[in-house]
Amino acid sequence: MPSRIVTLTVNDADHELIATPGLTLLAALRDALGLTAAKRGCAQGTCGSCVVLLDERAVPACLVPVETVDGAAVRTLEGVAAGGELDEVQSAFLDGFATQCGFCTSGMIMAAEALLADNPSPSRQDVVEAISGNVCRCTGYEPIVAAVLDAARRRAGRTA
Amino acid sequence: MLSHVHLPGSAAEAADLLRNGGWLVGGGTVVMPRVNTGAVPVDSLVSLRRAGLDDITVDGRRASIGAAATLADVGEHDALAFLLPVIRSIASPPVRNLATVGGNLVVGQPYGDLAVALLALDARVEVLGADGVREVGVAELTVGGAEVLTAVHLDVPDSGTWFYRKAMRRRHNSAAIVTVAAVVAVGDGVVRQARIALGGLAPRPVRAPAAERVLLGQPFDRPTVEAAASAARQGVTPLDDAYASAWYRDRVLPVHVRRALLGED
Repeated sequence: MPSRIVTLTVNDADHELIATPGLTLLAALRDALGLTAAKRGCAQGTCGSCVVLLDERAVPACLVPVETVDGAAVRTLEGVAAGGELDEVQSAFLDGFATQCGFCTSGMIMAAEALLADNPSPSRQDVVEAISGNVCRCTGYEPIVAAVLDAARRRAGRTA
Repeated sequence: MLSHVHLPGSAAEAADLLRNGGWLVGGGTVVMPRVNTGAVPVDSLVSLRRAGLDDITVDGRRASIGAAATLADVGEHDALAFLLPVIRSIASPPVRNLATVGGNLVVGQPYGDLAVALLALDARVEVLGADGVREVGVAELTVGGAEVLTAVHLDVPDSGTWFYRKAMRRRHNSAAIVTVAAVVAVGDGVVRQARIALGGLAPRPVRAPAAERVLLGQPFDRPTVEAAASAARQGVTPLDDAYASAWYRDRVLPVHVRRALLGED
């Protein structure tokens, strides 16, 4: 079968791309659209470095054949900072030294964004569960958990 | 190398397409890793994402879950709240947003914890094939290459009769060492109904008939539960894999049956 044209709304902008059969959402974002924040780690759905929001839900983009989500809305880390301003999660990661090598950071932040959208005041356990599919080999996770909790407080402070 | 990704609009269309070969894909959490490695050549995928199999309906006690409903969909359904601990014991939130109920039923142990729960619930699985629809129990479930699992039907258990425990190497996102799911109903001070299902032990979830017999007709108390927990080892030959040895699973099985039924931490 020939390739198909797939339409995605990525970070609020409409895109068309040519999808060869089985092209993953991750490959579409990185290779067709040049959005390289989502990382290609394991290609097994195990490491979480490619997590993006697909119709507002966190998913490992490496597991999604892009042809199956034609018309979907996708948010990547590139779409988190509104107008070039880091959002609460990004700034909490930065201030809390929650990144070291940075490879997991994009997936961690997108998993955190999904959590906070659903649960604005998570417990520590909620945060641990939310990032349980994201592997970090540098930080030992503690600064990341602290940063997500900090982001929740910052967001609550801003809207209060 | 893939040459087709089909997006059938119904289960019947999916079954038709599968007659020409290819792999059925629900959420992709099992199939796509295999596609991505390229280790096993596959020519086509038949995706259920547009097949209309993701409805969940609960009418009184009777629940029907479409095979392509995600684990997250099940966990978020108010009338299925008793299944939330099961759902939260499986993988991670991003994987649960893709993984489907049908996939969980066919994936095989030590994965497939929802399948263990569905066995304890005596759920019936609807499978569509060339000869029409057949209904089977979870323990007997096999799905042929051109068949499509379409739905699962179950009764929501009465309050206080549902028990679930999954032992794993860490608190989240790990396969089963031992999974225990049970419906135990008490009337007039004794156990009137007992269905105990175990995961992480055999390729498919298994019932624990000896343990069920120990419970039936007895008071649902610690001595009876401890006797049932010991009996759960009968006829079980546990799996030996990277998560735990068969020896270890055999040793801890009674502990987790007891903890599940007594609600112990």
